[in-house]
Formats: sequence, structure tokens, C-alpha cells
Amino acid sequence: MNMVATPAMIALEGAGRVFHRADGGRVVAVQEVSLAVAEGEFVCVVGPSGCGKSTLLQMIAGLLAPTAGLLSVGGAPVAGPGPDRGVVFQKDSVFPWMRAIDNVAYGLRCRGVGRAERRAVAARYLDAVGLGHVAEAWPRELSGGMLKRVAVATVFANGARVLLLDEPFGALDYVTKRQLHEVLLALWAEGGTGARRTVMFVTHDVDEALTLADRIVVMNAGRVVEDIAVRAPRPRDTDALLRPEMVAHKHLLLRHLGLERLARPGTAP
Amino acid sequence: MPIGWPVPPPNEAGTAPSRGGAGAAWWRIDPLAPAGYALLLLIWQGLSLVVPAFSLPSPLSVLARLREDFFAAPDLAFYGLDNASLFNSMIYTGENVLVAVVVGGTLGALAGLVTGRSAVLRALLDPVMMTAGTVPILVAAPFLLIWFGVGRASSVLLVTFYVAVILYLAAQRASDNLEPIYEDAARTLGARDWAVLRDVVLPGTVPEILGGLRIALAGAWGLEAIAELLGAQRGIGKVIEVLAGATEVRGILACLLLLGFVAVGFDALAGAAFARLSVWNQRARIGGAA
Ligand SMILES: Nc1ncnc2c1ncn2[C@@H]1O[C@H](COP(=O)(O)OP(=O)(O)OP(=O)(O)O)[C@@H](O)[C@H]1O
Ligand SMILES: [Mg+2]
Repeated sequence: MNMVATPAMIALEGAGRVFHRADGGRVVAVQEVSLAVAEGEFVCVVGPSGCGKSTLLQMIAGLLAPTAGLLSVGGAPVAGPGPDRGVVFQKDSVFPWMRAIDNVAYGLRCRGVGRAERRAVAARYLDAVGLGHVAEAWPRELSGGMLKRVAVATVFANGARVLLLDEPFGALDYVTKRQLHEVLLALWAEGGTGARRTVMFVTHDVDEALTLADRIVVMNAGRVVEDIAVRAPRPRDTDALLRPEMVAHKHLLLRHLGLERLARPGTAP
Repeated sequence: MPIGWPVPPPNEAGTAPSRGGAGAAWWRIDPLAPAGYALLLLIWQGLSLVVPAFSLPSPLSVLARLREDFFAAPDLAFYGLDNASLFNSMIYTGENVLVAVVVGGTLGALAGLVTGRSAVLRALLDPVMMTAGTVPILVAAPFLLIWFGVGRASSVLLVTFYVAVILYLAAQRASDNLEPIYEDAARTLGARDWAVLRDVVLPGTVPEILGGLRIALAGAWGLEAIAELLGAQRGIGKVIEVLAGATEVRGILACLLLLGFVAVGFDALAGAAFARLSVWNQRARIGGAA
């Protein structure tokens, strides 16, 4: 187990997951992943489609059992899903039978928070994601991007210390996405630097990863193939992304995603 | 938050729905429905002009018979049915149908939901229910009559079983169709087993279960009447049987008309109630206007 001075909030030791497809095929979605995420760290996970990012997140969430290795969150082995880890799913997960505001309030309801109080909290988070005007709408009346924002507000309102976000802003337009970055960073840092939440954020968007992350983990074919520390100060505006070390990070990421040739690493223009 | 959100465009703001907005259509009657009835009546009237009255009386004379026999029908006493009016015969039939729909519906839906989530129970129960669903249920009527006699129990059991099979299949399919992601999401938000059942499984399956219940209800009236026809001492089916023995076509048609009115009325009520209950579901809302 991990015996570092500051124990990891999320710790994976040789974690792996094998799927058996209906046609008899065997898919190794995640293999030999060892990772320690410190409390308060903001980690972005990038990698090509199908490399196992969602599988990894679902295992940490306790929704998929690993077929190999050990996983623990907050020092305790992962034994199932729980409200200590908020999950924004890649697929739509908003309950169609609850109005937007009742969806956002649902986690609080499970914890026994009174109706008036939980609706007030939910209304605040719906406002934060720019959906205050459709609080009473049914999900079928909302667009895809709006549904995604309801899911984000739901997880934010529930106040988990660990956030597992699977391409939460992937379906959103550029402007909304930028605004939600600010909302997310504000939530992450709520209560001061010492009280930061732990975030694992899956994205395909390299600039998004560079804007948000303390650390970018690159996956390929089920393995972690790169682990980049991003030390630029926040908030990171457009200019911050043009700093030389950021540009170098970006080239490295693009090379891992196959957009630039891996031939001579370190000689990027 | 330090961000100024853009004011939503007017059409987006306009989608903020009111309570009435989503359910406003549930009471509306399709203007073509009365037209269909009118056409049927017209054909009936036309036929009754050519066919002799003892084999096809006109709609008006059937309505008159319905009115005459509604609260008291002395001629039924003549055939051995004491104190039987169309009204109290219909009440008897209606009670049986409602008991059967409530009991059979509850048992069938619960069994369907449970087997939808447990592979073992499903493997045990599916063959039985599938067989029951294929064999015409009426073949059971003679056995029920032998075992339980000609009282309420036989016909209620028959209809209960019929409703239970339909609801079993509807609830199981609803459970299969429910995306597992909703349960996953609920659990990551802190829902335990009971809350998952109350907030995910039940609401997520309710439109399909109610759809099945409505189909079962529609079939239940006819099945109850036939069960009474085969062996009962009261009920609208018994009245039809007695009148058939006397080749009283006008009386039989009056009974059928009453049964039809009651069945259509209950279906409309059920449709409206179900549309209210699943107002979140677009399909249910459109299909539920009855
Ligand atoms: N339930 C499953 N059964 C069989 N194979 C699966 C299952 N879930 C995922 N896989 C396979 O596991 C691999 C990793 O899937 P995963 O969803 O984790 O990828 P991803 O990195 O999230 O991709 P994307 O960026 O497209 O979301 C894929 O090859 C996929 O086909
Ligand atoms: Mg994915």
C-alpha cells in the first residue's frame, strides 16, 4: 500500500479491468494502472477514444469491480458507489421523471435535507451553471448541453470531496465551457487552498486539460503512458497557455494523441 | 460566482414550463372519436331498417330497453333472476373487475419488477408465466367453476390471473428497458436500496406498467362477462346468458351497450389518470389523451 507522508486520496495499485464481450471477445480496457492522487489535486485524464478512461473512472466510483489490482479512496478500499465520490457520467444520467431542480436536489434528499433547504441549494447551483431559468423544466424539454449542466450541478450540489468527471463539458459550446471552467475551479477551491477537493477530470480537449489541471495523466490502450505536472499559476487565461512550458506540454500531449509525430521527443518547435 | 451568464434568448426563457403546460392536453377529446361513434350508429340504424327487429332492433329501441330495465327489470325475475336490474348487475360485474385488476395488477407488476432484477427468480417464473400467457385463459374457466363454484371467486380468479400475466410481462419489459445508468447515478448520489426502488425503479417503469394496466383493464370487462356467462348467479354476463336462452336480442344488446359504455368510461378515466402520473414522459402524454 501507499505509505507516503501525505496519504493519497485516490490510490490505484496495478489496477486492471477485463471485459468479456457478448461475442466471446476479451477486451483489456485497463491494465496495470498505478496512480496516487493527493488530496486537493486536480488531475486531468486524456487519451484516445477507447483507451479506458471511462472504465478507470467507473472503477474508482465503485460502479465497476476491477479484475486486477487494488483501489482505495480516502484510505479505504473501494467497495461500491457512495456519495463521497460525485460522478458526472459521460452518458446522460439525468432522471427524466424529475424536474431539473429536483434532479439537482436529489443527493441532498438522500441525505435527509429538508425540501425547502435542498431546493434553495439546488437553485443556487442551477444558477451557477446558467440554468436558473429552467429550474422547473422536465429533462425532455432541455437540450443535450443543458442536461449535461444539470448533471454537473447535481454533483456540485451534493458536495462530495472527490469529483469524478467524465467529459463533463464535452457536449458544450465554447463560451459555456469556459464559463463552467470558472464555476468548477471556484467549487474546487471553495473554502481555501487547504480545503480543495480532489478532482479526476476526463477530457479530449487538450487546451481544457492545460487550463484546469495540476497534473495531466495520459492513457493509451489501457495503460498510463505519461504523467505531466502543470505548474502554471491560476487563473490561466489565453496568454498563460502561450507560455513556453505550456506549449511544450501541449506538443507532448498532441504527440500522444497521434496528431504530431513521436519521432524525436523534446525537439518540438 | 464571478461570471455573468448571458441572458437566455427569449425562446429558451419561454420554455420554462408551468405545471399546467406539460399536462394541458390530458382532458382533450379527439374530435374524430364522436364521429366514429356516429358512423357506427348510422350503420346500425341502416341495417335495422332492412333486418327484422327480432334479430336486430334499432339503436333507439335498444336505448329505450336500457332505460326501462336500468333500475328494475321484472321480466328478469321471470327468468329466475330475482332483484336483478341492469344497474345492480353491472355493479356486481364492475366490483369483480376492479378487485381483479387491483389484486392481479399489483401481484403481476411486483413479480415482473422482481424478476426483472433477479435472474434466478426470472428463470423460475418466466416459463410458467409465458405458458400462461400463450394458453387462452378461458380454458381455465371450467376448472375454476368445479373448484370454486358459481360464486364471485371463480370469475374474479380468472380475471385476476389474466391481469397478472399481462402486468407481469409489462413490468418485466419496463424493468429491462430501464437504463442501468439511472441506478448508478442514484447510488453515487447516496441512494440506498429502498431509495433506488422508490426514486428510480418505480418512476422509471411506471409509464410502461400503466400502459399494460390499461390494456388489461380493457380486456378484463369482456373476460369477466364471459366468465359470468359460463357460470355465475349474478352479473351482466349472467343477464346476457339468461336473455340468450330466451332469444331476447334487444335485451342482450342493451346489456352489451351498457358494458361498452362502462368499459369506455373507465378507459378514459384510466387514460387521464395515467397521463397525469407520467406527465414527465412525452410518449405517455401523447398516448394518454384517450
Ligand atoms: N461493458 C463493456 N463490455 C465490453 N467492453 C467494454 C465495456 N465497456 C467498455 N468496453 C471496452 O473497453 C474499452 C475502454 O472503454 P472506455 O469506455 O473506458 O473508453 P474511453 O477511454 O472512455 O473512450 P471514450 O473517450 O470514447 O469515452 C473499449 O475498447 C470498450 O470497447
Ligand atoms: Mg469514455
